[in-house]
Amino acid sequence: MNKTILKALIGLIVLAALLAVPRYVDSPYALHMMILLFLSVSQGQSWNILGGYAGQHSVGHAAYFGVGAYTTMMLMHAKQVVPWVGVWAGMAAVVVVALIIGSICFRLRGPYFVLASIAVAEIMRLSAINLTTLTNGAEGILATEIPAFKIGETVVTEFLTKVPFYYIGLFLALLTIAVTYWVQHSKLGYYFQAIREDQDAAHSLGIHIAVYKNIGLVISAVLTSLAGSFYGIYVGFVDPPTVLGLDVSVQIMLICIIGGMGTLWGPVLGSLILVPLSEALRSNMITDLLVKIGLVSVDSKVGVFLKENLAHAHVLLYGILVVLVILFMPDGLMGFVKKLAARRHREAV
Amino acid sequence: MAVFLQSLISGVLIGGVYALIGIGLTLIFGVMRVVNFGHGDIMMVGMYLTYLLFTLMGVDPFVSVLISFPLMFLFGGFLQKVFINRVLNAVAQNQILLTIGLGLIMSNTVMLIFTSDYKILTTSYSSSTIQAGGGVSISTPLLISFLITAAITAALGWFLMKTDTGQAIRATAQDRDAAQLMGINVSRMSVIAFGLGAALAGTAGALISPTYYIFPQVGGTFTLKAFVITVLGGMGSVVGATLGGILIGVTESMSAVYISSGWKDVVVFVLFLLVLLFKPSGLMGKSRT
Repeated sequence: MNKTILKALIGLIVLAALLAVPRYVDSPYALHMMILLFLSVSQGQSWNILGGYAGQHSVGHAAYFGVGAYTTMMLMHAKQVVPWVGVWAGMAAVVVVALIIGSICFRLRGPYFVLASIAVAEIMRLSAINLTTLTNGAEGILATEIPAFKIGETVVTEFLTKVPFYYIGLFLALLTIAVTYWVQHSKLGYYFQAIREDQDAAHSLGIHIAVYKNIGLVISAVLTSLAGSFYGIYVGFVDPPTVLGLDVSVQIMLICIIGGMGTLWGPVLGSLILVPLSEALRSNMITDLLVKIGLVSVDSKVGVFLKENLAHAHVLLYGILVVLVILFMPDGLMGFVKKLAARRHREAV
Repeated sequence: MAVFLQSLISGVLIGGVYALIGIGLTLIFGVMRVVNFGHGDIMMVGMYLTYLLFTLMGVDPFVSVLISFPLMFLFGGFLQKVFINRVLNAVAQNQILLTIGLGLIMSNTVMLIFTSDYKILTTSYSSSTIQAGGGVSISTPLLISFLITAAITAALGWFLMKTDTGQAIRATAQDRDAAQLMGINVSRMSVIAFGLGAALAGTAGALISPTYYIFPQVGGTFTLKAFVITVLGGMGSVVGATLGGILIGVTESMSAVYISSGWKDVVVFVLFLLVLLFKPSGLMGKSRT
């Protein structure tokens, strides 16, 4: 009992601290990093529900992320629809896409779902490139101004600083964590885990496998679409490779794999590792650090090479991380930590 | 009619090369039950190898197959021994993720070395054609690559059917445990199968390099196409992959002509989803799970 109270207390303190951050932190860069972190948590957590709990590893979540982002942005750009309304259209579009994919793939076993999920994401990406009248093709959609949300004459929301984005991002991250928690502790979640562990056994116990896989897919897709809409509005720009590319799908998946699939805190842990790491690469922090400790000099060939190229190397890093995690910690960091703890416990006994 | 014939012929020719990529994938899947998501990236490595041989030493892309085939075989064997072998008994998801990771490492390492610029390999015959009569012209490099593909496929067929190693590979694909009990060194067969798969993909890369743009991300599309081909032909079936490759080549060139070139890949992927919907065991195959 004490442990639960302690946990709740820690949770409340962290939440209060997170809520208070914009009051005391002015640096837009720090807020930006926090927003990226929230975005990553919500992406990872959405994937976790389908991939981690129901065991259906989608390598095409960019489809939902991108369709959400594009729908909101297209409506905002062409029809001045406020994002608060646009996100619902995005979610509706994603539900349609998800159900089409689900009804095709979930009758099959084996690698078919993975293959089909990639194919669908590619279809979406190519469509975004080719449907130029709707999506502005490869150039993407740039939205310089977000229309303010007004009821009558009173302005309800404006997006002039990073602060509202911070709170929306925080809300999104908490929402996805809450949904995951709910899934983990509900009948639905037990069904998911039964399907993940043994389809035949689950089926023989009377669980309608295809139906529950589809439910998992829709929950996961809708949440990913929310994250996509949020990303589109926050960055103010979407184009096919940045929201619909294979990299996006891999990155979403990677958050969970590194942290630990099928655990509540895995995606949070994964985000805490991945976001700072890719930011450090992107902003050349790692090169600067190597220069500072004197490992490489700025003017040497190696130094110039690193400076020019390491900024683009974050996808290479994703690749290396995937390989290392799969080979050495297939259950992710959470699994690794749990195993260590279990071993300690056994030794202590 | 001339347009139809034209696109049919070029579809069959490019389809031959697709078949080569598909056969490699299906061979790997057959022997190891591993779906190699880095297959297109292996092909991309083959393209850059050809590009290097051509620009540094002036080796003709078609002649360079003689060099790239063994090199890519060794590369594939290395990948199998160091990485894939460790996950043979892991859950399917981990195998998939591992090969995706390897693919990302390949494409991004190549990007670091060569930048992401599009490279073009221009030979004296890159844009030359042969007039076949009736207003139909055939691209010379495509025709040569098709002939080489046919020769390699025939040689592979002979190797798998007639030699001891080939029979051992087929036995491993049929039943790994039984093959092991019969004294076949299955882990050696796995290395050979992956090596062959990589060599075929690399060769396909060499063969299309005179007619295709070369860039680090080129692999992704080909990985997907290879899947479409193998699923069409039935996973694990070499004959199926050959037919699947040609079918995809024709579909692509027809839809480029009659719909638009921007949508041709979409048509292929939609076809893939339709096959999954109506005949998931493939057009040729019986389902083996």
